[in-house]
Amino acid sequence: MNKRILLVLAAGAVLGLSLLPAGQAVPKAGLPVLTTSAGQSTDVTTLNIVLDEAAITYDYCDVPTPEMLADGVGLGGRESGPGFHVEITTDLGKYPAGTPYKAVIFAIGASLKGMGASGLTLDAEEARLKKLIALCKQKKIFVMAVHIGGESKRGPAGSDNERMIDAVAPLADYIVVTKDSNKDGRFTKLAAAGKIPLTEIEYALGLVDIVKQVLQ
Amino acid sequence: MKNAFRSGAVLGAIILALVLAGHGPASAGQTPQAAVDVVAGEGCTSILVGREASTDGSVMTTHTCDCGTCDWTWRHVPAADHKPGSTRKIYHISQYKTWPPSEGLKWDLYKKDLAGLEIPEIAHTYAYHHGMFGYMNEKQVSIGESTIGCQRKMQNPTPAAKLDLSMLTLLGIERAATAREAIQVMGALAEEYGYGFHDDGEMLAVADPKEAWIFEIMPVGPLWTPESGKPGAVWAAQRVPDDEVSVCPNESRIGEIDLANKDFFMASPNVVSLAVEMGFYDPKSGKPFNFKRAYSPVEGSASSTNGRIQRLWRFFDLVAPSKKLKPETPNMDLPFSVKPDAKISVQDVMAMTRDRSYGTPFDPVQGIRGGPFKNPNYYRSTRVIDHGLAEYSTVTQSRGGLPDAIGGIVWIAFGSQDTSCYMPLYAGMTEIPKSFMVGDHWTFSRDSVRWAFDYTDFHVQVAYSEAIKDVQAAQKTYETDLIARIPETDRSALELYRKKPAKAAEFLTAFAINNATTVTNAWWKLGDDLLVKYNRLYLYNVEKRGMTRGQPATPDWWKKAVRAFDILMEPDKK
Repeated sequence: MNKRILLVLAAGAVLGLSLLPAGQAVPKAGLPVLTTSAGQSTDVTTLNIVLDEAAITYDYCDVPTPEMLADGVGLGGRESGPGFHVEITTDLGKYPAGTPYKAVIFAIGASLKGMGASGLTLDAEEARLKKLIALCKQKKIFVMAVHIGGESKRGPAGSDNERMIDAVAPLADYIVVTKDSNKDGRFTKLAAAGKIPLTEIEYALGLVDIVKQVLQ
Repeated sequence: MKNAFRSGAVLGAIILALVLAGHGPASAGQTPQAAVDVVAGEGCTSILVGREASTDGSVMTTHTCDCGTCDWTWRHVPAADHKPGSTRKIYHISQYKTWPPSEGLKWDLYKKDLAGLEIPEIAHTYAYHHGMFGYMNEKQVSIGESTIGCQRKMQNPTPAAKLDLSMLTLLGIERAATAREAIQVMGALAEEYGYGFHDDGEMLAVADPKEAWIFEIMPVGPLWTPESGKPGAVWAAQRVPDDEVSVCPNESRIGEIDLANKDFFMASPNVVSLAVEMGFYDPKSGKPFNFKRAYSPVEGSASSTNGRIQRLWRFFDLVAPSKKLKPETPNMDLPFSVKPDAKISVQDVMAMTRDRSYGTPFDPVQGIRGGPFKNPNYYRSTRVIDHGLAEYSTVTQSRGGLPDAIGGIVWIAFGSQDTSCYMPLYAGMTEIPKSFMVGDHWTFSRDSVRWAFDYTDFHVQVAYSEAIKDVQAAQKTYETDLIARIPETDRSALELYRKKPAKAAEFLTAFAINNATTVTNAWWKLGDDLLVKYNRLYLYNVEKRGMTRGQPATPDWWKKAVRAFDILMEPDKK
């Protein structure tokens, strides 16, 4: 019995689940889902690997525009090119091309190298995100913000990474962050101010169960 | 004659049209988007020379630190004894991150980026010199580096991975007395604390006076946790045979591994199992496990990529032309190492770091690519070893038969290798030149050694084919002649060392700092001289102070190319 409780506690510590306020459940969004980056860091790759691990199919685009989002599953048939990456793993039998997305997950993390590769400035990336989220709100698409880069990838107020947080997190329907991404309590404050459900996880691995709950 | 010119010009116009339309000769085309699973940064090149492959018995490694916007500053870290129970703080060190000089220096400020981990400290840490990586310690353990990339699902940019590559090399070089030990230290720490965060697939050339090893390390994916009980990194190491040489140009070099042969192979315990788990290797395939094909596959050859990945073939062709390796051979089929046709000197290695693939199918100045003054930096379609990107380049020598303090040398050339000058730092030095410790890309500084070399480099670009000759004359004086004097310097140091090692350290420190000061001042003056000599693209005879100005000869072929272009563009004018 004790051993079992210990195991459960240990698993909880690793996955870091359920730091939601009392009575608040993990929100439900459903599929299909689009994954993308807010700031073009490699954290979006981690997000996609999390979805693979959770056996959830998805569409991915590093720099989707509102028009692409509006085209739904398949992103209007757009294909990868220089500075533009698309990956469609969504089950088209279940969600045919053009099916409206029910959720968009943003992996927040600024990378000047990544933005440079996509031909974006920080201002352009910020403007793109704002338009994208505005469309999500208009179409009632669930916005999930994820920050898993940790403390070292944060920055002082006004820095690249913080601007990406400001562009996405306050408008999200759900925020998931690693504990060390939230050491200064910034996400807790943003979530409280916007009454947005927030979950802290220990490692990226903790996101696997969360996306299962949100999307399935 | 006129007709001949006319037909030549028309032919030139046709060729230009083809080039402009994107159908030019092999090296002129864009990089094709072949089925490349792993795209490593087109960055650093690292060369390794076994002790029996070198003219003086030294084991050599190189690192062309090809970044373009990274920090170039260096530090010396003294040896230290540590009390039982003390800990070593671990920091996230980004290869790319720099700070404005007004805020301070990278090698002070990086300590703000704690990784949230302190590991048990060892009783004694060795002294070493480092730049972006640890390069040479007081035991002559030396390191070079090249990014090789890895399968995407292996990347681990999450904070669960506590160790980046720079941090790992600092730990390896401060804790190890041999190359094998450095590999074991770095491998074990990466397994225990997780590797990745800022970095992914990486190669290190790790050497000591006896051996040179290629060590390749990769993360194990973002879902790794220390509580999993699994290694937080996967790695393998292969020794370069003593009479052979090898190279890593941003591509994994380790193929099949024979862990029973402990003198030539080492690896993490998950080296095969991870590949099976991640679906990169099927033991039922009947094929032997191959590290690079599993974890860092790169498709194509020098030819098929229009020279994008030609450095591997080029290096082997440089050192062993008798092997007649073909640029069409897929890179992954090229050998791990080769026996060079002739033994290689430190100066040969420096020349290799300056290689631009001239005279090969990937010559960056063939045709009109380099402009009238054959500037290889004008048309960077092929990736050559000296790409003009280097923050600095290193050539390390670990030399047996001498005390470590004297035997170990790291030669450093700041900026682009072709216009720079290699300066030695001995392993036994107790400080390094102050000008090596300061400066960044965005603030010109006369206090920074790097700006002296960039200053000259800038003035070379104007009339490259002419001005590079002035630089080469300076390299002869300050580099070639110094190399010739090294045995004499060694002897003087050895005499002092036999009396009192500390005296030898003082001597070597003073020698290297004085030399660096002399070279740096010479390069500031060289930049001034080039500015005057090639001012406004005329040729001023500064010795005779003649009233007539010459002009660097504009070759006939260039004039023809201009005419051909005029003809090509004529329809547009109408």
